[in-house]
Amino acid sequence: MTDNPIKVTKETKKKIRVEFERTSAWKKFKLKYLSLNFLGMTIFKIFRLVLLIGISYVILYPFFTKIASSFMSPTDFVDVTVMLIPKSPTLNTYKQIIIENHYFQALFNTLILSLICGVIQTFICCVIGYGFAKYHFKGSKLLFLCVVLTMIVPHQTIRYSMFMKFRYFDIGYFDFGILSLFGDKDGINLINTFIPLIMLSIFGLAFKNGLYIFMMRQFFKNVPDELEESAYIDGSGTFRTFMQIILPLSVPMMVTIFLFAFSWQWTDNFYTSTSMFFPGKSQVLLSKIVSIPRTLDTNYPGGNLFSAAIRNTCGLLIIAPLLVVYLFCQKFLVQGIERSGITG
Amino acid sequence: MNNTKAALKTAAPKQKKRKVVSLDRKKARSGWLFVLPFVIGFAIIYLPIVLDSIWLTFNSVRTVRQQGLQLTFIGLDNYKTALFEDANFVQTLTGGLRQLVIDIPAIVIFSLFIAVLLNQKMVGRAAFRAIFFIPVILATGLIAEIDAGNTVNQYMSGTSGIETGENIESSASQIISSADISMLFSNMSVGSGLVQTITDLVNDVYNIINRSGVQMLIFLAGLQSIDPAIYESCSIDGATSWETFWKITFPMISPMILVNTIYTVIDSFTSADNSVMNFISNYYNTTSMVVSSAMAWIYFVIVVAIVAIVSAILSAYIFYQRRD
Repeated sequence: MTDNPIKVTKETKKKIRVEFERTSAWKKFKLKYLSLNFLGMTIFKIFRLVLLIGISYVILYPFFTKIASSFMSPTDFVDVTVMLIPKSPTLNTYKQIIIENHYFQALFNTLILSLICGVIQTFICCVIGYGFAKYHFKGSKLLFLCVVLTMIVPHQTIRYSMFMKFRYFDIGYFDFGILSLFGDKDGINLINTFIPLIMLSIFGLAFKNGLYIFMMRQFFKNVPDELEESAYIDGSGTFRTFMQIILPLSVPMMVTIFLFAFSWQWTDNFYTSTSMFFPGKSQVLLSKIVSIPRTLDTNYPGGNLFSAAIRNTCGLLIIAPLLVVYLFCQKFLVQGIERSGITG
Repeated sequence: MNNTKAALKTAAPKQKKRKVVSLDRKKARSGWLFVLPFVIGFAIIYLPIVLDSIWLTFNSVRTVRQQGLQLTFIGLDNYKTALFEDANFVQTLTGGLRQLVIDIPAIVIFSLFIAVLLNQKMVGRAAFRAIFFIPVILATGLIAEIDAGNTVNQYMSGTSGIETGENIESSASQIISSADISMLFSNMSVGSGLVQTITDLVNDVYNIINRSGVQMLIFLAGLQSIDPAIYESCSIDGATSWETFWKITFPMISPMILVNTIYTVIDSFTSADNSVMNFISNYYNTTSMVVSSAMAWIYFVIVVAIVAIVSAILSAYIFYQRRD
């Protein structure tokens, strides 16, 4: 009984006072901080932090150099002593690009195009993904295979046929003389309009839409069927259920997909390039502003660096609005994907 | 009495069955309605485009004034040109495929590793996540194109490589010197091929990080969906975190590994900075559009074969947790 640490000191009718032998602060400290386990954890944490900071540095460093070089004046590129901080900072590069390359016009046009495409793609992929997730009908597996097919055939492979399709647009064997109403016998020329991209978005065929449909399908598979069933029992129809029950549920996922669709349309350089849907100068889009303004003279010994810096500045101007969107939406990015549970 | 009972018995399931069929049909109809946009688009736009593109590769194309294009059927000649006559295509193709074989494990392993790190509780996790997903949004399309021919970045970071030997002095901000790695490995007397591969990977680290954003997201989603109770019981049983990773996390995440491998193959195959795709695009713009289409289809078939083989191998080792 002597080595029992609990001592009952006083015993009254109601209260029992018990005293524990307390471990000293030093002993606690020793147990907690001087163990091998703690050492290992600390080393691991430091290692992890260093690694993450290092990789973040690798990701962010190009942006720093781009920002730094965008403020440099032509002479800074010849100067060997200038590494990252410009000696004679100037805003001229920005000014010339904005004025000569019609930056704001391009920004406005691209904003409209990306918004339209982003919204349509988000909604359409949501609808299609819902159809694939919740309904099993004959041929649904085959159709889903078609979705995968659209995902894995690169659009570069079919670019010529795609161009021709929209240059002389017709709807093939489904045409019952509808298009002849518009006059042109060879089909309608849709090049240089937003229509091809909008059309691809409406039909869920645009860039990476297969991926969005896949993500949406996985997300809806995790939504319990009971939700819809109870809505049906309450007398709601299929579409009302979809609009009022399912869509509000899937907002985080939709924001994720909108973010992807919007930003990939924003930085797109394939469809909006001159060899695809927008030849010539008729539509000013962001993909067209990457060029060197005439007023900036790059014809000197360090000129190739300067012209690269100008191109980078164009890139910075392109992604600046996108960065703002990203900062607002990135919270949803992880959240949406987390909830999608793209597991198996 | 018995007869009626039997009749009822047989009648009841029949009636029930018919009802089930009609509900099924109703559901199937609304299912079709939901996927209708895709079906229409696939039928009137996508399928004709793809078939047209395939059909073109069997023809020679001549532009005729006022009549558009004139096609003449020449059978497999375009494929022959691509495979046997063009000097560079096969070389580019094998080079590109070798690059694919090196890159894919690197990207998948890297993104899994980072996803595991980003899934742990720590200070500044949200900030790190935000930084790591920047490339998903920003380093695509136009920006990637601008970056591809970028001399400023190389100049600034001084990573213009050890081959030229020029910029070694200005390596104040260099991430890691590949010369050091070569030295380290040459002392260990392993094959020079391995050294070359590792040096390439290290030099390519920016590229690998940039391309593993979506994969990281998918892995992170997979990690989040693992039941914490499993980890709890594991730690109660005294498993170390190393064991927990290999016995719990890895099997549970293995379906994601398949998804990500396939996604990586497809993504690097369809991305514009892919060397084979670049070659094909150049060929499209400069020489012959039909032969370039033929090349693109050859490449496509090879990549689909790779995807099929990889997924066949991987799916043998995948652990599926049955949830129903």
